[in-house]
Amino acid sequence: MSPRPPTLRENRRYILVRVEPVMTVIDQKELYYTVSDAVTSLWGDKAAGVITQAVVAAENGHVIIRCLRGTEKELALALSTVTACKDVRLALRIVAASGTIESLRERIREQLVPGEPVPEPGGRIFENLEVDIVYCNGQKVDVIEKGFKNAHRLFLTKSDLENS
Amino acid sequence: MKITDAAVFPYPCGDTSVRRLALEAKALGFDSLVAIDTPAGSFDGVDILSGIIVQDALMRDVIARVKRAKDSNAVISVTARDNGFNRAAIGLKGVHILRGVHAADKNAIDHVAAKMAADNDVAIDIDLSILIAARGIARQRAIHRYRDILTLERRFEFPVTLSSYARSYLDLRAVREITGLCSLIGMEISGVEKALDAVGRVTTPSPSAVRVVS
Repeated sequence: MSPRPPTLRENRRYILVRVEPVMTVIDQKELYYTVSDAVTSLWGDKAAGVITQAVVAAENGHVIIRCLRGTEKELALALSTVTACKDVRLALRIVAASGTIESLRERIREQLVPGEPVPEPGGRIFENLEVDIVYCNGQKVDVIEKGFKNAHRLFLTKSDLENS
Repeated sequence: MKITDAAVFPYPCGDTSVRRLALEAKALGFDSLVAIDTPAGSFDGVDILSGIIVQDALMRDVIARVKRAKDSNAVISVTARDNGFNRAAIGLKGVHILRGVHAADKNAIDHVAAKMAADNDVAIDIDLSILIAARGIARQRAIHRYRDILTLERRFEFPVTLSSYARSYLDLRAVREITGLCSLIGMEISGVEKALDAVGRVTTPSPSAVRVVS
């Protein structure tokens, strides 16, 4: 089967999305199902068939999602209704839309310039809880409570923490 | 114009500290937040207004709680119930916002309650978390109810506020996303701008009808 000539192909757009919280492990297939579910739930099967959303890449905490040109707004709105992916809480923050994947990859590289944040060593105390830092970037600090039972992540700032 | 999220729940109700919520809200385009059961303050240029929600209480308890909270400069909200309760709550001096309209009775807000809300400058709140997180019939019902509220709002011009009910910074949405979500209920951009600014309107005491000049 010969490929279609470019003029007969569908025009597509790509949306770059940042996944929060940082360091969330993204399974591309699971995210595809989550996005599909969100689009179908909000717009119905008919519109979902037109949008033809697909997760084309997931790298460095970012995801590139494809859609038909002209349906970016509908897809963006559906993405704002995504709250979890396979019981893992997350938020998808839209960064940019483009006609090529390459330009979005460039945007990802630009966003990664400040360097990887390194968790600060040592225990900290927040509201009488002993916590461990799992992520730290600027003022933002993500911690988990010490202990086996409670692996719940808390989102704080540096000024919220005291040294133990 | 001050862009305000009319209800967030910082730690210990949620998993995000009020400072972090302020930091994230600023990045998403907000100028202020109403933080429930949290002291007022200002972090990173974002104003935190203290908020109180009175819910599941008899009218006399609501009156007592509103009376107690009136001098605290907090944004006082009452959760909607049946029509009679809502009319009484709207007529109560010191109440700023009526919340949870999507979960209240079908006729919880009628034209009389809408007129009272406009006269008393009491806002009706739109809970965006339902539009974001609910699926199926729950979201459909909320969309229907909010469309009905907005029909009354266009007629009587009472204030409308928008709340994310964020218990985590992951629940916050950017102003652009909120505009998109509000388009689902038939709200235009000018309406969204007005709604995001409405907390300031309801908390600022309106000038009295009679002014003593000497």
